[in-house]
Amino acid sequence: MATTVTEPGLKRVERLERIWVEPRGVLGWLTTTDHKRIGLLYFFTTLAFFGAGGIEALLIRTQLAEPNAKVLSPETYDQLMTMHGVTMIFLFVIPMSLGAFGNYLIPLMIGARDMAFPRMNALSYWLFLASGLFMYASVFLHAAPNAGWFDYVPLALKQYDPGRNIDFYALGLIFNGISSTAAAINFIVTIFKLRAPGMSMNRMPLFCFAMLAVSLSLIFALPSLTIDLVYLELQRNLGFHFFDVAHGGDPLLWQHLFWLFGHPEVYIIILPAFGIATSIIPTFSKRKMIAFPLVALAELLVAFIGFGVWAHHMFATGLPTITLVFFAAASMMVVIPSAIQIFAWTVTVALGRPEFRTPLLFIGGFILLFVIGGLSGIMFAAIPFDQATTDTYFVVAHFHFIIFGAAVFPILGGFYYWFPKITGRLYHEGLGKLSFWLTFLGTALTFFPMHILGLIGMPRRVYTYPSSLGWGPYNLSETVGAFILTAGLLVIFGNLVWSRFRGPPAGPDPWHGGTLEWATTSPPPPYNFPVIPVVTSAYPNWDRDDRRADAGRLERGELVLDEGHETPASTVVDAVPDEVVEMPGESPWPLAVALCTALLFVMLLTRHYAVAGIFAAMTLLAVAAWHSQEPQEQ
Amino acid sequence: MSALPHSGDATTPPAVTRIEHTRLARPNGWWGMAIFVATEATLFGTLIGTYYYLRFNNAHWPPPDVPEPKLTLPLVLTGILVATSLPMQLAVSAAGRGRLVTARVALLVAVVVQAGYLGMQLHLFVHDVHEFPPSRSSYSSIYFTMLGGHHLHVGIGVLLNVWLLLRTATGLTTYRMNALRATAFYWHFVNILALCVVGTQLSPRA
Repeated sequence: MATTVTEPGLKRVERLERIWVEPRGVLGWLTTTDHKRIGLLYFFTTLAFFGAGGIEALLIRTQLAEPNAKVLSPETYDQLMTMHGVTMIFLFVIPMSLGAFGNYLIPLMIGARDMAFPRMNALSYWLFLASGLFMYASVFLHAAPNAGWFDYVPLALKQYDPGRNIDFYALGLIFNGISSTAAAINFIVTIFKLRAPGMSMNRMPLFCFAMLAVSLSLIFALPSLTIDLVYLELQRNLGFHFFDVAHGGDPLLWQHLFWLFGHPEVYIIILPAFGIATSIIPTFSKRKMIAFPLVALAELLVAFIGFGVWAHHMFATGLPTITLVFFAAASMMVVIPSAIQIFAWTVTVALGRPEFRTPLLFIGGFILLFVIGGLSGIMFAAIPFDQATTDTYFVVAHFHFIIFGAAVFPILGGFYYWFPKITGRLYHEGLGKLSFWLTFLGTALTFFPMHILGLIGMPRRVYTYPSSLGWGPYNLSETVGAFILTAGLLVIFGNLVWSRFRGPPAGPDPWHGGTLEWATTSPPPPYNFPVIPVVTSAYPNWDRDDRRADAGRLERGELVLDEGHETPASTVVDAVPDEVVEMPGESPWPLAVALCTALLFVMLLTRHYAVAGIFAAMTLLAVAAWHSQEPQEQ
Repeated sequence: MSALPHSGDATTPPAVTRIEHTRLARPNGWWGMAIFVATEATLFGTLIGTYYYLRFNNAHWPPPDVPEPKLTLPLVLTGILVATSLPMQLAVSAAGRGRLVTARVALLVAVVVQAGYLGMQLHLFVHDVHEFPPSRSSYSSIYFTMLGGHHLHVGIGVLLNVWLLLRTATGLTTYRMNALRATAFYWHFVNILALCVVGTQLSPRA
């Protein structure tokens, strides 16, 4: 919007301001349907859970720093280890990347004014918050889940784990899954239907391809976890038989269903990171991503192959050899789309004029850590190697390189990259670079020695170890690394908090980014764009003529949609504008539905099934009340 | 492009019909339901997968002390339920052409049959639970979990139809039209599901 705006244009903008304004204060946040505010709610909530998961990690590392330590009791250690895994996966990485980044950025990147289902978007957030608090209530009741995040039976059955610990886990994750499913549906429909005129599938930002792949994975992966958890609860509390051999069940059924979800889940964790990388790399290399369609396909292919590899988590469970070989081959195949992307990222940087600002440094760190984690991952596809190293620290090393190195580094880089867009201010570059090096060194020092420990035989999931085995020095360096890593993270957040108040103004587009979020002001107005942009390439913000044409349309009042709370809907593949849809505004009902659902789960946990039925009915009534307010009536 | 139809403004049957005719792609609500159905189908795929997984892990399926599943009644009931796809689709096409009364009558016929089916099935469910309770074996566990899951989906569908009948009593809007279309789609899915579930549960008789 660099060109001057004249009288009729200003009038239209004022009208949009009036239409899209939301109530101020706490009430505004409780009833909001603005994807940007919901994104920020996700951001701060997941950050709090990241803090909790981080403290758990530091306690674990402190306990393991030296042999025979007694910082934590075995029972506390089990609970902290389980909560660390559950928190980082379900309450931090996924909601941070999908909930915070996805929510804030997808409508901006595709030139829409909100998500396809704004009220359901709010519901996803409130359900997520409630499910997180539900699971964390267990910590304060000293009954946190304690059978590992994979929660294997028979250990997780009533006979061996009689408390409420596992019920918190099972019900909490079913609850969390409802939120994720609603969010995934919303993202898919938003990406399919709300793209700006002209943004056909082949012009869609790679970030959106990654988020589409993640959402599709969630849609097809979560049901097997949900069903597995339902079986577990039915067996624990109502005497059903799914997992005990004595009554015709099978403990491996748990593992099959868990990993049928669990491996796609790994790609759900990593794909948003790919999406962030493909946003940061072109901007700071000042050129388009090379092999754009291949990278888009590779993102979708990673998600797809993820459904055919689950048994590589079960190579030591005595499955038939033919099964093992099939899953080993499928696991090797993951290398192909991953390598396509690694080459595309590095070659894009090499062919461009890279400017190594903090976000790009984090992406560099990400690529390095991803390659190391990927190489150890390929090793597990070799069945004999896997059988020798399974349940050792080698596995812990591998998945932390992937989940922390590869998934979280781009998230950290993304904080820096989009910080100016969200706050309108620039972060401190020097502190940013320092924070990168601290985080990178901390990560390497924490997780690399785990490879060695695994190879010399240290098993996972032990709360301490004897001094005679020589594991002490490696463990101590890991613990030191964990504290360096924490320092790096604190510098990041210190930098961002300081810059939020003191940073120099950023302007709408400090990096000359190619995607549409940079075409609007920082922070974006509630209606995102004064005029719906028309797109002719995959990097629309680099098409200066098109953006000038947008400004012209604002003057003429074309595609401004200043008559109501509106956004255009398009055809799915070609993004031909089809109709103008009325968007619902703020509503108290998503919060009410989430509250009733939370009480329903509390009643299920305490086994008051009749009261649970009452809350289920109240949930349905609240859903009915929500839908009796149609968007055009607001 | 300024001539894009404003679907929110369509609050009478003729206006809704116009939107239905000019629209190039299916509405957001339809897509939302389609993706919801995809995740639900996976859910039931997992249940059916579990059924066969457990079956192949057991020498006797059903176990000796459990009666073989009845054949005639479940098949007849399923046939009746599947037939309600017709009035559901009729309701959609009638509403799309502005014939609200026809649409509501078709909806009423569908929901009466569906509710009758559900009542009958719940009666059988309770009877079976007394005969071979789910706590007896893995067979009865998966049998009742799968069946209960299906009945729950029928119940939700009945509630959706009742809701549509109440909402369309005060007229037709695009919002309600989209809801009707999505609900009909949901019912087609539940009906296909009924065939899959009953086919799985009767498989020991094959």
